[in-house]
Amino acid sequence: MGREVSESCVDSLLTEIVSTYNNRFYANKPELAARRIEAIGYQVGHQLSERYTMERPRFSDHLEAIKFICKDFWSELFKKQIDNLKTNHRGTFVLQDNRFRWLSRISTDPSVENTESQDPSAAAESKASLATMHVYFPCGIIRGALSNLGIPCAVSADISNLPACSFVVRIKA
Amino acid sequence: MATTACFIIVSRNEIPIYEAEVGSAVKREDAAQLHQFILHAALDIVQDLAWTTSAMFLKAIDRFNDLVVSVYVTAGHTRFMLLHDSRNDDGIKSFFQEVHELYIKILLNPLYLPGSRITSSHFDTKVRALARKYL
Repeated sequence: MGREVSESCVDSLLTEIVSTYNNRFYANKPELAARRIEAIGYQVGHQLSERYTMERPRFSDHLEAIKFICKDFWSELFKKQIDNLKTNHRGTFVLQDNRFRWLSRISTDPSVENTESQDPSAAAESKASLATMHVYFPCGIIRGALSNLGIPCAVSADISNLPACSFVVRIKA
Repeated sequence: MATTACFIIVSRNEIPIYEAEVGSAVKREDAAQLHQFILHAALDIVQDLAWTTSAMFLKAIDRFNDLVVSVYVTAGHTRFMLLHDSRNDDGIKSFFQEVHELYIKILLNPLYLPGSRITSSHFDTKVRALARKYL
């Protein structure tokens, strides 16, 4: 059942999703756009997790499921594993990817400013908000995958130093 | 060789999303209800057993007269339950694995709401063909 997908097509599709939802569908309502993108990611994660868990035995606890996400799931999606996994053993996990594939093309150069920005802090803020829009989709994917494995959770991302990206998973109840 | 067999798929919320009589024997009128009753009664046993093992295929977990219930649990806790009278474990395991693939294809349909009834006649035809092949 597994076939191959052109990576540049996926990259273009994701960039276009973020841009269309932000500029055309929900212009001036970034929270709604974020939620829609995250919902798309949720469904994709749900389907992908069902597909990738087909061959292997089921999981005995939450840590096993998170490790599956870090290793097999991530390597199927991004051809590498999560670089660092931290937990507080009380339902919070931090998955750190030091070079997140879908954000690797976003410029990290702070000296580049576009013409509309008034001062450096506003430019940095708009650049940050643009990058945050791109992480809603992978957050949704993780949330969908874990929900399908029986772990309701909330996923947020921390992109303070691109291209490294940290996903914080908080398990509900 | 005539076999009796009833196959249902139960979602993680205990809602049956697909059922089919796939045996080749002649069916009595009350047989269908009896089969469904037996399968639903076996759900409790599946629930307990599913947490004790990490395997997907749980062999015969319950008996009724000479009918046996076998169950296959997926990672998303969707249960495929088969009520049958044959003893062909390998055939049943292959049947479950092929139905799992078909089920994943249904899931990949973006218009399918996970947990809702499977109404695709294509899926139905394929499941019956697989049953004829493996059971």
